[in-house]
Amino acid sequence: MSFIENLGMALSSLKAHKMRSILTMLGIIIGVGAVIIVVAIGQGGEAMLKAQITGPGNTIEMFYQPSDEEMRANPNVFQQAPFKQEDIRALEQVPGIKRVVASSTKFSSARFQTDSTDVSTTGINQAYLQLNELKIEKGRGFSSADFLGGRRAGIISSKLQEKLFKEENPVGKVIMVSNQPIEIIGVLEKPTGLLAFGSMEVYLPFQTWRNIFGSSDFTQVTLQAASPEQLQVAGKKAAKLLNNLHNTEKSYQVINMEEIAQGVGQVTKIMTLIIGSIAGISLFVGGIGVMNIMLVSVTERTREIGIRMALGATRGQVLTQFLIESMTLTLIGGILGIFLGWGTSTIVSYFAGWPSLVSWQVVVGGVLFSMIIGVLFGLLPANKAAKLDPIDSLRYE
Amino acid sequence: MIKLDSITKSFLLGKESVHVLNGISLEIEQGEFVAIMGPSGSGKSTLMNIIGCLDKPTEGEYYLGGENVSHYHDKELARVRNQSIGFVFQQFHLLPRLTALKNVELPMIYAGISKKERQARAEEALLKVGLGDRMDHLPNALSGGQKQRVAIARSIVNKPKLILADEPTGALDSKTSMDIMEQFRGLNGEGVTVIVVTHESEVAEYANRTIMVRDGLLQSPAAMDRGRQR
Repeated sequence: MSFIENLGMALSSLKAHKMRSILTMLGIIIGVGAVIIVVAIGQGGEAMLKAQITGPGNTIEMFYQPSDEEMRANPNVFQQAPFKQEDIRALEQVPGIKRVVASSTKFSSARFQTDSTDVSTTGINQAYLQLNELKIEKGRGFSSADFLGGRRAGIISSKLQEKLFKEENPVGKVIMVSNQPIEIIGVLEKPTGLLAFGSMEVYLPFQTWRNIFGSSDFTQVTLQAASPEQLQVAGKKAAKLLNNLHNTEKSYQVINMEEIAQGVGQVTKIMTLIIGSIAGISLFVGGIGVMNIMLVSVTERTREIGIRMALGATRGQVLTQFLIESMTLTLIGGILGIFLGWGTSTIVSYFAGWPSLVSWQVVVGGVLFSMIIGVLFGLLPANKAAKLDPIDSLRYE
Repeated sequence: MIKLDSITKSFLLGKESVHVLNGISLEIEQGEFVAIMGPSGSGKSTLMNIIGCLDKPTEGEYYLGGENVSHYHDKELARVRNQSIGFVFQQFHLLPRLTALKNVELPMIYAGISKKERQARAEEALLKVGLGDRMDHLPNALSGGQKQRVAIARSIVNKPKLILADEPTGALDSKTSMDIMEQFRGLNGEGVTVIVVTHESEVAEYANRTIMVRDGLLQSPAAMDRGRQR
């Protein structure tokens, strides 16, 4: 007796009890759906976090971690920006390094007419724009002329616009940053996404920033390599160069963002696994529902089983018939569950601004797993059917 | 065709064993039409179950068409039932969700016959019992006599040498009963061995031999004698 024949038989007996089959399937649909949703959102979140950590790629951040001696020699070492203008120029000469992105941030005040607020003011070099795209909503972005001439032009965040200008268009207006006039040339787009908080920010060309704050040092330096393969080597060379220039042992170091991203990936993977297993419990409960209904079905169909046996069905054929029936039940449920999970996670990701990833592995896994559940939970009822005595079954009312 | 040699059957009821058949020896030749009669509790149903390979004797040997089937496993018995025996039951025992045609196809599914051939042979069998116009009907759209004719079509579709009918007319009126018995007579005429279990003497009259069972024994040793046919 072929598989197709069994399948047809299974479908027709599931169709004979439509309501019951659908309700039983619902347990599997919800179980598989829940697992898919958790995994899809988890994987999407992981991908997003990784992307945010590693940035646009092949970049590496430099940081300064003073040694105990340096701290003893200069207790204010943390207040000072660790990267000098010369450092940047030297770093640009390191082979394998394409760009040196440098910026400096200081907290100060911003005032428009009578309203004033605290802002973080960041001076950026031109390379910064190559790596971190400043998305402009109103006005324009920085031009080369702004950087070279040290124009008193600034770009503000949308939050700061709300604070100082409300509905008014701030482009062309002049605000006082640290009591120095700055003309607003653009407003940044509102940040989107689950983890995005708006903050009060002003971006200035570094020349301008230096004139306002009287400091020519940078607080942050990011290196971009010519290619990802060169990243580690070039990063080490850069750190060594700075340590030589500053006469330090290994206070200047590079962070490997890839490693951090992988660490974060591990955390989100574990989270996904934990929540996924909780969702898996509902799948297990669904499986018990299938077993329950199959047991009822076997009892109800005792006479049918007796007839089939009298007509020559072996115990193995009866077992197979019921196993395939419960497998069909869970397989259909599983496929519908995949659609449910896929649909729901798409909707969730649409509203949360969070990508959802339904990978083919998850889909194939879902199908296989629901089939396995069908076989596993069908085993007991099918075995019960196969063990029936044909004579008693024929007499069963 | 059929040879029973000192068949006994006992069941355990609690701790006591109950003897249902107490040593039955019986021979039935190919092409015979035999009626098995006896009061309820006589053991005729158990005897029929053993002949039909639905049950195994406790002791004794059973030869069916030369094969000693008394020690066969479940799987082999299933094959014997499928290939060599056609069953007709009092309550028809059709599957309610399958059409007449599909019901007749069932034994062939377990025989592993292709779909195309199954359909052709099932149609042929239904035509033979005069139900050519009822093939796509579900059992509850058929009358009792029609249902039993579907069951007869089902019993002959694997071309068995033996047809076992357990009270085949028990649920039918007398006119329909005669009609069904005529069907069996026709099949018997084609060389098929027919065994009918019944308690109606009108039905037994169709047979050319009647076996009486009482208290787990054949009532008269003379019943073994083919010379004393009715």
